[in-house]
Parts: sequence; C-alpha cells; structure tokens
Amino acid sequence: MAKGQRKFLDIMKKRPLILDGATGTELQKRGMPAGVCPELWCIENPLVIGSVHADYARAGCDVVYTCTFGANRFKLGQYGASDARSVNRRLALIAKEALRGKALIAGDIGPTGHFIQPFGEVDFEEAVAAFKEQVLGLLEGGVDCFVIETMMDIQEARAALIAVKEICDLFTMVTMTFERDGRTLNGTDPLTALTTLQALGADAVGCNCSTGPDDMVRFIGAMKPYAKIPLIAKPNAGLPKTAGGTTVYDMDAAEFASRAGALIAAGTGILGGCCGTTPQHLAALRKAVARKKPVPPLRKSLAALSSARKTLLFEPGRPLAVIGESINPTGRKALQEELREGKTALARQMARDQEAAGAALLDVNVGVPGIDQEKAMQDLVMALSAATELPLVIDSAKAEPIERALRVYPGRALINSISGEKEKLKKLLPVAAKYGAMFILLPLTDKGIPETAEKRAVVVRAIEREARKHGFTRDDFLVDGIVMTAASNPKAPQETIRTVRWATETFGARTVVGLSNVSFGMPERKWINTSFLAMAAASGLTAAIANPAGEELMFVKNASDVLGGRDRDAAAWIAHCAKAAGGGKKGAPIEALPPERKVREAILDGNRDAVAGLVGETLKAGFDAAKLAQEIMIPAIVEVGERFGRKEYFLPQLIASGETMKIGMEALDPFLKEGSKAAQRDTILIATVKGDIHDIGKNIVALMLRNHGYQVVDLGKDVAAERIVREIERHRPRAVGLSALMTTTMTQMKEVIMLARKQGEQCPFIVGGAVVTKAYAESIGAEYARDGVEAVQVIQRMVR
Amino acid sequence: MPCTLVSMDRLITFERITIEPPLEAIYRRLGFRKGLTQIKPDEARALGESIEKARSLITLKGAARRLPILSKGSRLIRLPGSHCLESTHLAKLLAGSKEVLLMGATAGAAVIEAIRRDTAADNLTQAVVLDAAASEMVDAALDWMEAFFARDLRRESRRLTKSRFSCGYGDLALENQKLFYDLLDLGRFGVELTERYILAPEKSVTAVAGIETTG
Repeated sequence: MAKGQRKFLDIMKKRPLILDGATGTELQKRGMPAGVCPELWCIENPLVIGSVHADYARAGCDVVYTCTFGANRFKLGQYGASDARSVNRRLALIAKEALRGKALIAGDIGPTGHFIQPFGEVDFEEAVAAFKEQVLGLLEGGVDCFVIETMMDIQEARAALIAVKEICDLFTMVTMTFERDGRTLNGTDPLTALTTLQALGADAVGCNCSTGPDDMVRFIGAMKPYAKIPLIAKPNAGLPKTAGGTTVYDMDAAEFASRAGALIAAGTGILGGCCGTTPQHLAALRKAVARKKPVPPLRKSLAALSSARKTLLFEPGRPLAVIGESINPTGRKALQEELREGKTALARQMARDQEAAGAALLDVNVGVPGIDQEKAMQDLVMALSAATELPLVIDSAKAEPIERALRVYPGRALINSISGEKEKLKKLLPVAAKYGAMFILLPLTDKGIPETAEKRAVVVRAIEREARKHGFTRDDFLVDGIVMTAASNPKAPQETIRTVRWATETFGARTVVGLSNVSFGMPERKWINTSFLAMAAASGLTAAIANPAGEELMFVKNASDVLGGRDRDAAAWIAHCAKAAGGGKKGAPIEALPPERKVREAILDGNRDAVAGLVGETLKAGFDAAKLAQEIMIPAIVEVGERFGRKEYFLPQLIASGETMKIGMEALDPFLKEGSKAAQRDTILIATVKGDIHDIGKNIVALMLRNHGYQVVDLGKDVAAERIVREIERHRPRAVGLSALMTTTMTQMKEVIMLARKQGEQCPFIVGGAVVTKAYAESIGAEYARDGVEAVQVIQRMVR
Repeated sequence: MPCTLVSMDRLITFERITIEPPLEAIYRRLGFRKGLTQIKPDEARALGESIEKARSLITLKGAARRLPILSKGSRLIRLPGSHCLESTHLAKLLAGSKEVLLMGATAGAAVIEAIRRDTAADNLTQAVVLDAAASEMVDAALDWMEAFFARDLRRESRRLTKSRFSCGYGDLALENQKLFYDLLDLGRFGVELTERYILAPEKSVTAVAGIETTG
C-alpha cells in the first residue's frame, strides 16, 4: 500500500474524497494578469495563491493541489526560468503555509506541452528526468501525495508516474483528459488508460478537464468494472461558452453539485472540479456528497493487456487470442538484415499485415546474433507502438531487452516468458512487477522441461509462489502448455493438452501455446497445426502464438470461438466469413430484365464485375453492337452525368459508372463496325501543367471523355509548355484540356496557350482545377469546366 | 525571475497523430449531399472499405511552432529571424494577435503511392476516395494540433483565432510555403518543397493561426 493511502481509503469508506477546483481562473479573478506564467507569478504573489488554497480547504476539500501544473523545465523555460526543482519546492511550501494541515497537499504535475517518444520528439528519459525535478522539489516542499493531471498522451502520463514511483511511494493519482468522443486527443480510451496506469502503479486513475460531469459519467462507467483502484472525476463546470471575449462555463455551483450522484453511481470515489469551478462549486459538491458512500473497487486483479489505444481483456467468454508470430528473425533473412541495419519498415509492415489478418497481439523478437538487442528491442517496440493498435508481446531469452522494452512501451505488455530457471526468476519478476506487465509462465526449470502435465503443474505452482511475493496473482500470467514436436515424441501433444486443461480447470489460470512447433518435421503442417489448435481450444486455451495469415487456422480459431461459446451471436464468425469472401462483390442485376437493360443497369450501378459478361450475353441474344452502344450504353452514361448534376450521385458513383462504361465499351469494341468505332471520334489532348503534381481531377476528366467516345491523349502531370505544344503538332487534337491546382502553377496555363498561338496552333483550350475560375479562363482565352461532367459538355459544344 | 513570456519558440513535432477519418467531411468532399444523394448498401460498404484502406495507409505527422509577431501593418506581418508574411487578409485575421501558430501536417507517401497504383490499374473509384480521405484527414490533423494548443492557451488566457490561413489562398502567396517549410522543418517527415512551392507528397499542408489574449 502506498504511503498515506490509508487516509484516503478511510475517507472513501464514508463518502467520496474531495479534490479542489480550478486554480487558474481563481488567480485571474484575484489579479493575475493574462499571459504571465502562473507558477512564477504565484511565487511573486504568495498571498494570492495562498488565499485560493485556503478557500478550497474552507470549502471542504480534502486535497488541494500545489500551483505547479506547468512547473516543468519545458514550460518554465519559455519564461526564462531554469530551476524547476526550486520553483516546485517554493510553491509546495506556499501551499503548506496557507493550508496549515487543514487539507492534504497534492504535488501537481501537468503535461510538458510536448509529445513524448514514440508519439513526439521528446526522448522518454528526458521526460522522466524533467518530471523527477518536479517530484524532488515538491517532496522537499512537503507534499502529502501526487497528482498527474490533464494528460492527453498516455506515454507522458507513464513518464510522470515512473518519475514519482522511482523516487517515493506516496499515494499517486493520475487523470487523463478525454474529449467528448471518449478518447484523449492522442486516441487513448478510458479503459485503456486504466489498464496501463493501474498496472504501472497508479493508486487512483480517472479523468479531468475537457468535459463536464455528464460526459464523465460515461468515462467512469467504462472503467469501473475493471478498476482495482479508486476512480477520479474532476470535471469542468459544464461546457465552455464565449461571452464578451471571455470563456465562461454553463453550470453554477448548485447544478454542478447536482451531478455528483450520477458520478458516484457510475463508480467515482474521488471528486473535484476543473475549469470554471470555484470554491463555491466545491462547497456545494462537498455538501451534496456528505452521505453518499462510493462503491469500492470491484476487483483485486485484472487479466488485460493494452497498447496506447486498445485493451485486450482475457475475461471468460472472450475469443481465443492469436498472437502473431511473424516479427521474429529466426529463419527470416530480410528481417535479420533489417534489424542489423537498425531499420523497422519491414517489421511495421508485418505488424500491419498480421493485424489485418486477425491477430489480437503481436510477438516481438529481435534475436539476431551480434546486434545490440537491448537497443534493437527498444527501437522496434517504439516503432511498432506507433504503427499498430495491437498490444505487444515482448519476446526475448534475455532479461535486459525485456526491461528496456517495458520501460518505453506505452501500454501493458506481455513478457514471453518467465520460466522457473533461477536466474530468470530473479531478474524478470521484479522487472515485470515494476512495469506492471503480464507474463507467460513457462513451466521449465534449470533441470529442463518436465515431460508430464503433472510435473509441469508442480513447476507452475512453484513459479506462482515466487510471483506472489512480487504482488502477482493468477490473473497476471498465462501458463504455457509447452508444445513439443509430435514427430519426435508422439505423446507430447497430449501432455500439452493435459497441461492446458489442468491450468484452466484445476489451477484457474489463462493458458497459451506456441502452436507451430507441434508439426515440426511433418508434411502439410497447417493441418496438424489447425487440428491441434482445435483440440487445445476445446481444452480451454486462452491464446495461441501462430501465423494469422493461415486461412485454415483462422477459420478454425473463429469456429472454435463459436462452438466454445466465445463468439456471441456468431458475430465475429459472420464477419470473418464475409471478409474471407472478399467483402461481398456486387451481384448481377435483376435476372428478370432483358439483357440490354441489364447492361444499362450495370452502368448505372457501377457494376464493373458484371458488365463485360452482360455485353457478351446481350450480343449473343442477337442485339446489334452499334445499337447497344448508341441506344443503351451512351444514354446510360449520360444519365449518370445528369444524376451527378442533380447531386443524386456523388463522385465515387460517377467514377464507378465511368469505369463500368469503359470496361463495357472494351468488350463491345471488337463487334463494332469500323464506321461506328470510338476511334473515329475526335482526339482530345489533356495534361496537368508544369510544376503541378495534383492530377486526380485530370484523370477523372480523361475517363469521362473516353466514355463519351473521345480519343484521349493523356500527357500526365508536371508537363512543360513546350512538350504540350509539340504533342499538339503531333496529334492535331480537336481540343486541349489543361489542369492546375495551385495559384503558382495556374499561370503555366497562360504560357501554354501563348506558346501554342505563337507557333500558329489555333486549337481551342479548356482549363480547370481547384483555383481556376471562369474569369481566369476567359482572361487567357480558354473555356472553363468545374468538373468532369461539365468538361464533357463543354468539349461537345467546342467540337460541334 | 520574469513571469512574462520570454519565448515559446520551440518546434513541437507530432510523430503520430491518431484521429478517426472525418466521414462527414470525406463524403461532402466526394459530392455527397444529404437528402439528394442516394447510396445503395453495397456502395456504402465499398466506400467504407476504401476509407478504411486510406486510414491504414495514412500516417499523419505534424509540426507546430509559436512565434511572436514583432510588428504588423495593414499588410506586412514581421516575425523573428527577419521572416515576414505579406497579406492584407492575413493581417486582418491577426489584428488582435500578438503571436502566431504555424502548423504543418502530412499524410505521408504511402497513400499517394496507392492512389497512383489504383489510377494506373483503372480503379479510379478507389483512387478518388483515397484522395478525398487523405485531404480531409490531413486537414483534420491541423484541427487536432489546434485542439492540442487550445488547452494550453486557455490556461494562459489566450486563444486561437477562429479561422486559419494557408499559403496560396486569398492574397497570401504560395511562395510563403518556403518560410513554413523551413520553420517547421517539414523535411524531417520526408516532405519536399518543389521549385513551384508545392509540398510533396501531395497531401501535405501548412497553415497559420493567430493567438489572441482573452478577457
């Protein structure tokens, strides 16, 4: 138990603990000018901040924050101050002098204003060091506890929490700031913040700022079922409004206090106020909760892993988790090479591929001989943290790379693995405990791997006894069933299954197996692996280290979830089947229609997959090819343009229909008589002018023109005036289209036209693009079109 | 010890900006009009898949820098380091500001490469959706950076101007892109500035907003 925790828990047995309210707005009311550094101003005006502290204590707050929210080296440096430790010490002393024991003092640590690696440029250790300066100063000033608040980056919250815990064991609260959508600006949701921070040693976790009490009811409600520790809500006084150039909040003291009941019912044990709240708000809150007893934490442990943005719960009834095994250099030369060169691109791609294939976790191994594995693991874990939402499994035979990875990983990771080998136990259990990691318990000892499930059970219990000394419970590890090769020991797979069953049913722990080892040396390994997975799943397996790219394996895994009652309403199974079927391609149009109508419907629907076949079907039925083009297909694409003009269609539909038309015309072309072929129509030359690289609009125009039978010569993007004029001479187009997106490149249009005229070319020009206007077009002697449909209409008029 | 601002002038970089694709804005950019445009379920699903693909390809990175305004007239805004911006419209926006916030963001090269590949493979339908999603997501990254700074500014009794301004719009010449590019060190993200002051990869943007004092 953290130092001072008893005081907090004793209060919460009777009523919620009350934190203070806003400091900044109170200081402004009491004379702090706008734009100054609040911390430095308070040192110069100790009586003013002292009066704010004292007013909150008088209002009934149990805990008052020091005015050190921005007292870190990054923010103080902006005001020319360098001694953060001294600033923190002085402000803590001012609080102590003002409060004189009437309230507990929380040393307040706020964000640096920078993002920390891997999400920003500030080195993780630099952030920890900066927070340690604050912690030391606040301790010297005599604070009773710490609060890390208004964090939007989970990695920064971790850095601050590590800084506190490496220096002292005072009660430490952490509050993140969630936007109304339920995530921090950096994408962390309340459950994920809770999973990471409570594992790392926070004594209370919650939310402050950004929203009023009503939104916080949702955030607290999302955390409560999984919290081992008290939850904090420190909301703003409602939502901000601007009145007369000043920001005001819409809840007065009574209304603010009236929301306390809902917050307590959702699971809040610690309440306070943030922006817009005053001592009056807190007094009303204190009065409103005097007889409201908070719900204590509902659990003592939590089997869950997290990344910066996602939590994976190992709760009963959850699907079997596949741990993607690909990021392992053993047998992968390209990955070995990349790790030697200190690169991470291939591993990041592997992470994305495995995530897309359905992995729930990613194993990360950097075991390449001769490289600095500690650095390689740290760099790769940071790169993957930013590249994937999946929680990571830190896989190493050595303790040091694991420790480096856990320190910088912005979530709760799984260690692969901790065995009963004495040296490993001694090194890794304290590291896992410090960073709150879960681990794979590998039931082997210095004497080797026990052959039978019974002997493995003895080792599991022995490791668990050691783990308990570090505070671990059975929720904090997965027992490895130890998979041996069936080819060398036919009884081995059964012993693995028996170990899994014992660990699940008798011991009451989660389990994992490294699947593919079972089939080593066998032909058609995928069938052995998937069969073994089904057997293990039926025995209660929690997770399998495997290759999620295996189609059979993922089908069996998902089927096992359905049959094992781990996929409610078979929703995941149905989604998996739909995905495997290619997301459901467009079906053929209504069967009852005559074939030529089906072609028309295909064009209107943008049914690219069906149109070529339908054209063939129509011709086979005796329909004339030219008639099909002139009376069915061209009117259909014209109809598409009209629908686009009326906004009934939007761009993707227009283009899908355009592409369908193109495929249809290609299918029809061999059957058209020479006189009616598209090649007989006029040639249009188009280009995006020199210096401009934006060509999507030009590409759309090209597609539209081709579908209306024009021969399009597309010169591409960034095309010089000289080349355009040369191509005009060569192709003799009936019209030339030019596009540009930027003001600096738009002027090139004029140069092209002037050069063409100078060389005697009289062809008409049409221009378009984001910044081009009709007036500009006229000023350079060109026609104008605002989109692809209009471009076709203008060109039809021009060449008529 | 001074308690007034000495310098906020430190480049802040964001190596990974995580935001959800702004679906409404993407649909709007693609021409969708509520009450008029009709989308069938399979079209909506295909669109959703393309937007999801865009999300997987886009890696939003950004940089921002607060700079004091040394002086400003009706057109000329002087910044430290002999830098200045010339624009009547921008000067009007910054009328109540003593500082500016310069911002830059990029969606990365992978999505542009995918657009090129889809276009070459006659899958322009997907290319336009990727293009629209990238445009809107990079714009949303600027909104995200503004939200990031707004919190700190509120504590300083300051706020951002309601709108922001980009080079090439109004009378703020595109040539100013060089100033943004250099001050925001966008090269660190693999962004290049062409001789015509266009940022490459294509879905890279910069903007400036004013910082005003409130109350």
